[in-house]
Amino acid sequence: MEKLDTRIKGHDHEIERMCNYHYQGFIDSIRELQQVSGDATKLKGEIQGLNRELKFSCDPLLSKGDELVKYRKIQKNVTLAIESLSLCLPVLEMYGKLQEQMKCKRYYPALKTLEQLEHTYLPRVLNHWFSQTMAEAIPRLRERIKDASMVELKDFLESIRKHSAKIGEVAMRHAAEQNNMDPSIAKKRVKTRRVPPPPNPFTGEVEDVAPSPPTNNSDKEEELSAQDLIDFSPVYRCLHIYSLLGDKEKFESYYRSQRWKQAWLSLQPPPNMHESLDLFKKYFHDIIGFFVVEDHILHTTQGLVTRSHMDELWEKTVEKLSATLRITWEKQMETFQEKKTNNNQVAENNNLEEMEIEEKSCKLASLMLEVKKLIVLFCHTLKGYGFSVGRLLELLLEMRDRYSVILSDQWIDVFTDIFTEDNYTPILCDKPEDYVIICSQFPYTDKELDKSEYPRQFPFSQFVPSIYVQVKEYINACLKFSADLHLSHTEIDDMIRKSANQLLTKTLGACLSKLIKKPSLSLLQLIQISINMNYLEMSCEYLEEYISSLTGAEKDSVHIARLHGSSMFKDARSEAEQQIYQQLNLKIDEFLDLASYDWTISDSKGQASSYLMDLVVFLKSIFMSFTNLPEKVAKTACMSACQHIASRLMALMLDNEVKLLSIGAFHQFNLDVMQCEQFAASAPIPDSNDGTLQMAFTDLRQLLDLFINWDWSVYLADYGKQQSRYLRVPRHIAVSLLEKLNNGDKKKNNLFASLKKNERDKKRLIETVLKQLKVLENGAA
Amino acid sequence: MAKTYDYLFKLLLIGDSAVGKTCILFRFSEDAFNSTFISTIGIDFKIRTIELDGKKIKLQIWDTAGQERFRTITTAYYRGAMGIMLVYDITNEKSFDNIRTWIRNIEEHASKDVEKMMLGNKCDLTDRRQVSKDRGEQLAIEHGIKFMETSAKASINVEEAFFTLARDIKSKMDRKIDSSGQVSGKQGGGHQLKNENSQKKTFWKSCTLL
Repeated sequence: MEKLDTRIKGHDHEIERMCNYHYQGFIDSIRELQQVSGDATKLKGEIQGLNRELKFSCDPLLSKGDELVKYRKIQKNVTLAIESLSLCLPVLEMYGKLQEQMKCKRYYPALKTLEQLEHTYLPRVLNHWFSQTMAEAIPRLRERIKDASMVELKDFLESIRKHSAKIGEVAMRHAAEQNNMDPSIAKKRVKTRRVPPPPNPFTGEVEDVAPSPPTNNSDKEEELSAQDLIDFSPVYRCLHIYSLLGDKEKFESYYRSQRWKQAWLSLQPPPNMHESLDLFKKYFHDIIGFFVVEDHILHTTQGLVTRSHMDELWEKTVEKLSATLRITWEKQMETFQEKKTNNNQVAENNNLEEMEIEEKSCKLASLMLEVKKLIVLFCHTLKGYGFSVGRLLELLLEMRDRYSVILSDQWIDVFTDIFTEDNYTPILCDKPEDYVIICSQFPYTDKELDKSEYPRQFPFSQFVPSIYVQVKEYINACLKFSADLHLSHTEIDDMIRKSANQLLTKTLGACLSKLIKKPSLSLLQLIQISINMNYLEMSCEYLEEYISSLTGAEKDSVHIARLHGSSMFKDARSEAEQQIYQQLNLKIDEFLDLASYDWTISDSKGQASSYLMDLVVFLKSIFMSFTNLPEKVAKTACMSACQHIASRLMALMLDNEVKLLSIGAFHQFNLDVMQCEQFAASAPIPDSNDGTLQMAFTDLRQLLDLFINWDWSVYLADYGKQQSRYLRVPRHIAVSLLEKLNNGDKKKNNLFASLKKNERDKKRLIETVLKQLKVLENGAA
Repeated sequence: MAKTYDYLFKLLLIGDSAVGKTCILFRFSEDAFNSTFISTIGIDFKIRTIELDGKKIKLQIWDTAGQERFRTITTAYYRGAMGIMLVYDITNEKSFDNIRTWIRNIEEHASKDVEKMMLGNKCDLTDRRQVSKDRGEQLAIEHGIKFMETSAKASINVEEAFFTLARDIKSKMDRKIDSSGQVSGKQGGGHQLKNENSQKKTFWKSCTLL
């Protein structure tokens, strides 16, 4: 421990020494430390100041730096934005363009734009949300375009329907011009292509003829074709759009079905088409318009309309058209016939209505002619577009038959008018002018008449040239129909002859027959008619010549159908002659109705009955007056009159109502028959005194002779023998008259009861004769 | 024979060509009219039965041609006529002037006691009239005959004219019967048909002869 203390003392001592030694150093250090501390403080202040100073100057720097960073960032963003915008902008531009195009209805470019947009631009901006929307909108837009173009197409279809009649009209006019068919158009051409007037020979000036502006305008209008009238672009556009969209087939079928519907609509005739040419025109124009448009479409598009499709349409159209036209004719005929029959039923003598009918039929015929022209033109026009029109031409032939029926109907009125207007007296020409007119109308040459003095008289009445002229008119009318039908000469010739025959034999024949049978016709008229027939009959060969000259067919060619006119006129003449005899007989009947015989008269009045004298005088004056009556007819008429008188007189005598007869009555009757015989013998017709007329009274004569001469022994003795004087007195007539005579005597005798001897003898004789006659009867039986 | 009438009167129509004689007759017999002029050739007649005072009267009316060339034929009929209608055309002065000639013709050819009447036809054509009604009346009075203006076309006075003439003839005949107590059975002229009474008379007469 001491060691340790020693050590501690040693160390303490050392520490003391050390401390003593280092004290100074310590103090110095403290001092130094103090100094340093001061310095440090001073430095600290300095540093603080500096720091403050620094801080002050760094603050703006820092903020600038921050700003810089910010701007840098902005700059970067801006570049980025610019980049993406430059990508999007074309898309949007396209889209805008698209919208614009849609607005302007330029659907096809719109569709192109859409395409570009979809395939080129949109993929580039896929990461933008709007591209999504756009992409979604694209199909919708496509639909819209499709719809819109369809609407346009519909508008187009509508407008084309409106215009197709006009197009058709123009097309028809062109066709007419090409074929030189429509005279009115041809005329127009001539007018506009007028030759300029020749220069004035004195001044050499050419007169200015300013072409009138209106003509030019109308010309211009004429030159317009389908393409000029109609804007076809909607179709093309629609077609392009649909083909772009891959829906071409759908479009095609839509278009075709729509167009066919339209065609079908056009093919439906308006209900009263048969009444007006304008409706017919519109109808045909419409149809032509349809085909012209289709043709245009065919040539300007590929496959929208094909030739075969067109032909198919045409086929259907022709079918429908034929049916329609047939129905229309049917209707026409019906209304026509209806009106005619109605008219006949209602009022026969209503002239006004008759005239109306006449007008109707005339109108109908001209309408048919116009319609025929239309159809021909229709055929020409469509032939020009390459359609086959054979079936329509066939239809025209069918129509021609109807036409001639209507024409014939029309000519019934024409003929009837001629018949009512004629005065049935030979044409008398006071002046050469009149004579020349008749000669130009009717082929009649009479050298003597040519040399004779005026007034010159033709043998026929006015109706002969009138009828002849009208038959020619009819032939011309028929010919009008066959014009432009492209028939051969012989075909036309055959047709005309057929129609002419029809007219002569049916129409004129019926008219003549009706005329002749008219009860109000006088003898004079009948006689003139029968004379006229001769001349019309003769004119038939001139008619044949006329036809040949019109049709250009060889006159002596083999297959020429002959005109049957002459035989018809012969028939009519004989009918008229029959009617003459009939009329005469009627007149005779009227006289005989006046007859009043007193069959119980005891003695004749000593002269013929006054009615019979009147009759004879009348007949004489008739045959004297009708100097123009052909001799053969006159002879026959006279013969038939005599026969009629004889049979009527015989009937008077044998009348069952007459129960009693007196010899006086026989005498009176004999006087009358003698008057007739005298008339017959007086040659009422020159050169007819060959005894034939008197023969008409032979029966009566023999009968009267038998009773007046009381020649019973001869009668009985010669009975049945060929040379008997009383061959024509039949036994039963003799018996009946004898019995009546006997009865008459009986009555008288009973009344007077004075039986004189000769009366008794007579009575006995009568009874004997009667007995004998009865024996004859038994013998004969 | 059954008698269908009591009297038969023969009437005659005369006058210039185209005054309308045939039309008047046509109107009277058929009650119709035809405007086409067809001149009559020679002579024609129509029969119509009328009734007057309960008697059936047959009128046989002779229509003559007005043309000169038929004059010989037509004058032959004057004698038998019991009544004559003189017809002129009021639109034709000449036809009126010629009435005097026609009356001379009657005096020359017809029987003395023939009944006459004058007709001014076509009185419907007032705007074409040339002969006044008064001049017609004047002429008729001069000759002591009856006068009427007629129109066959408009059917004016035609019926009346024929009835008047027929009535005049009948009363003249009745007067004659009254004065003579017997029917004049004159031949060629008019004759009344024997009625039951006269028939008996003749019958008795013939019987006494026997």
